[in-house]
Amino acid sequence: MALLEVQDLSVHFGGLAAVKDVTFSIEQGERLAMIGPNGAGKTTLFNLLTGQLKPSGGTVIFKGQDITHKAVYARTQLGIARSFQITSLFPNETVRVNALIALQGTRAGRYGMFGVFRKDKALRAAAQELLESIGLWEKRDETVSWLAYGEQRKLEMGLSLASGPKLLLLDEPSCGLTPTESADITSRIRELGSKITVLMIAHDMDLVFGVAERIILLHFGEISCEGTCDEIRANQTVKDIYMGSRKQSSAGG
Amino acid sequence: MSTFTITTLNGVSYAFILFLLAAGFSLTFGVMGVLNLAHGALFMMGAYFGLAIVARLDTFWLGVLIAALGTGLVGLGIYYFFLRHLYGKVPEQAVLTIGLGYAFANIVLWIWGPFAKMGMTPSLFTGVVRVGTLAFPIYRLAIVGIGLAVLILLWWMQDKTRVGAIIRAGMDNKEMTRSLGINYGLVSTLVFLFGAALAGFAGMLGTPILGAFPSMGDALLLLTLMVVVVGGTGYIQGTMLGALIIGLLDTFGKAYVPEIALFTSYMIFLVVLLIRPSGLIGRKVF
Amino acid sequence: MAAQPRPGIFTGRLFTRKAVAVPAERSVRSFIPVVLPVIVIGALLLLLPTFVPSYIQSLVTKMMIFALFGVSMNILWGYGGIPTFGHAAFFGFGGYACGILIIHGGISNFFLNLVLAIALTALLAAGLGIPAFRVYGVGASDNPIYFLLVTLAFGELLVRVAITARSLTGGSTGLAGIPYPQLDVLGITINSRSFYFLVLIIVVVCFFIIYRIVNSHYGYALRGIHDNERRMQALGYNTWLYKYTSYILAGAFGGIAGVLFAYFGGVMIPGTMGMAMTDIVFLIVILGSASVYFGPIVGAVVIVGVEYLASLYVPDRWPLIMGAIIVVAIMVIPQGIGVLLLDLWRRLIHGST
Repeated sequence: MALLEVQDLSVHFGGLAAVKDVTFSIEQGERLAMIGPNGAGKTTLFNLLTGQLKPSGGTVIFKGQDITHKAVYARTQLGIARSFQITSLFPNETVRVNALIALQGTRAGRYGMFGVFRKDKALRAAAQELLESIGLWEKRDETVSWLAYGEQRKLEMGLSLASGPKLLLLDEPSCGLTPTESADITSRIRELGSKITVLMIAHDMDLVFGVAERIILLHFGEISCEGTCDEIRANQTVKDIYMGSRKQSSAGG
Repeated sequence: MSTFTITTLNGVSYAFILFLLAAGFSLTFGVMGVLNLAHGALFMMGAYFGLAIVARLDTFWLGVLIAALGTGLVGLGIYYFFLRHLYGKVPEQAVLTIGLGYAFANIVLWIWGPFAKMGMTPSLFTGVVRVGTLAFPIYRLAIVGIGLAVLILLWWMQDKTRVGAIIRAGMDNKEMTRSLGINYGLVSTLVFLFGAALAGFAGMLGTPILGAFPSMGDALLLLTLMVVVVGGTGYIQGTMLGALIIGLLDTFGKAYVPEIALFTSYMIFLVVLLIRPSGLIGRKVF
Repeated sequence: MAAQPRPGIFTGRLFTRKAVAVPAERSVRSFIPVVLPVIVIGALLLLLPTFVPSYIQSLVTKMMIFALFGVSMNILWGYGGIPTFGHAAFFGFGGYACGILIIHGGISNFFLNLVLAIALTALLAAGLGIPAFRVYGVGASDNPIYFLLVTLAFGELLVRVAITARSLTGGSTGLAGIPYPQLDVLGITINSRSFYFLVLIIVVVCFFIIYRIVNSHYGYALRGIHDNERRMQALGYNTWLYKYTSYILAGAFGGIAGVLFAYFGGVMIPGTMGMAMTDIVFLIVILGSASVYFGPIVGAVVIVGVEYLASLYVPDRWPLIMGAIIVVAIMVIPQGIGVLLLDLWRRLIHGST
């Protein structure tokens, strides 16, 4: 049984179909990348998968369960986590507290009113582990709004790992990063292990080819092609779309 | 039967006063996202300004004009000195304008005393029109007429004019509208002035029916909120519909079942809130 | 340690932070600077009745009641980022519940009365919270206006209800004749001085409970929702449930303040549930600083104090004075007095940093 099965998923805004009849599946442990020009509907598809957006049609099945109409938080509890393209952290708190809050989300005790949150030993240990794994332990007492952008992106991904997901949806994890930082993120994603399945939106083809086993190309809300890295590299449609979109983006400036 | 007809006229004319009051609020709130909770107080001040003119110069219509101008100026002051600097900080706007509303009420109390005043109908519209056994107060009919005229004017402005288009564009996307070279700041200021003036206009117009007393702002603000929630914001038609519903329910309630009169409007308010939070004819916000 | 701009009187407008945490971790660890002021103030409060005339004692009693009112509201605004403009509804309702239970229900036992009043207020909050949060939107910054307006309307609606239900509430003249709390069960008769201590105990206990709540796992979830609700949902938190339960909690504590207020004045008028009272508590919170725990306490002391002075020198003109305070609080020191005091205190402790 596939970990995630998406069947004919669509969403309309007024008359416009932002996502149309998208069907694909992901197996446990797979690394799937979604590419496509700007406005192709990739983030919209993510929003449908995470529940931030309600679909006009189609189904999403996760671990055999129909989650098409489940609330966002319920899907996280089931094992889906997501990072955001536009960094979405808790800017007024320290890095450590960000991690603590993120970790608590899927743990028991998150409604507890009697303990002192910041002194929760188990949580602090887990936070240390998490922050060390993403290389932000030294910055644990910095307020997030004062971190450098690259560090914020690392924390962004770190927080999405905090819920211990089975399926990790990464939205442009290397967005705005320097080549060194991108390479760093790429290796961290590779190190995630087979317990976590990754679906990633990316523009950076180094990142895509460095991580993905399979690639889906989304164009105008529909799946244009699908295949392994080599197949996609050789695919003429892909080249057309990307050459076209590069022309557009250079015209737009 | 005759009670029913008279009550309907009363309800509709009351609804138009509410409409004029709520339209001003809906403009500033729905259009600019700016909250002016002194709006009820502006209505009250319009009544007092107007009545002061009537007391001195014995002319109703000049009173109406001064009421509108006076409250327009006060509104301008509120916007220019305070709200302009609090863009996006809605709770602060609320605290401030509520406080200003009470301050204004206190000043009015200081100058004119606590006793309620009643307005006199202008000589042009005094008296009744007889249809069969029924006697319709002309003034109430006049209010309906004036209200309709304003409704049509605002509706036309909303749908057919450039100003309306600018305002609607600004509602959707402020940055875009600015980048198109439109002086949105000026438009905002004028809209706010207009909304405030409309409140004062309604206040004076309402004096023969509602009278005037310093603390009337609170109840009127509540009515405005209900009209806006029930009818929805963004469209003048919504405000009219909301005003009709609240106005008629309130009037019929008071006429037939006085004990629960208040509750009919509240029930509608709650029901709409639960079922259609964006209002009956509102831009879909939820 | 990251260098952060310290909000000062003149830079306040530029650096207004959205309210969040209690002072940073570092200061919390240093025991003395935090506990010392608390101990000093606590001692002063305990000794107060012995040294000051009864009208001052009465004034301080009122300050404590409004401090609790403010702190209860700040659970929602400062910590949760929820702009509730109907908090007075719970304050007034708690007072009315207390009074009605005594006068019409014959329940004069203080403890029973308090428990029932709290329960009823919590029930009211549970009821109003459902429609109120229907118009909330994800993250207060998106659609605060509607929630604000709806909660405001609720407060005013309750005022009208109180005016109409004359037989129960005494109508617009109010519910009079609420006696001092009856503690016969403990063999204590309450007079003005023992009432002061009763209020002190209850308020301190409530402060302690609220302090624990906002620093608990639940409390930090609430802060997270304030900062970034969308992310909280993505992290698995049922944000609606947190907002809804915090609304009930805040309402309950507001109700306790209301009960104390009923005993304090002996009278409950409909206006205590309305817009004016809500504006006062909001002012108390933002004047004192929503972003620090003790902020509303400072705000309450200032507002209640100034109101008292106004009643001595310029009676009938309090709304104008309050308007002026509002303008100063919002336009000149938007970060609030509490932040300034904290700043001052830190400078004293650590030398200039």
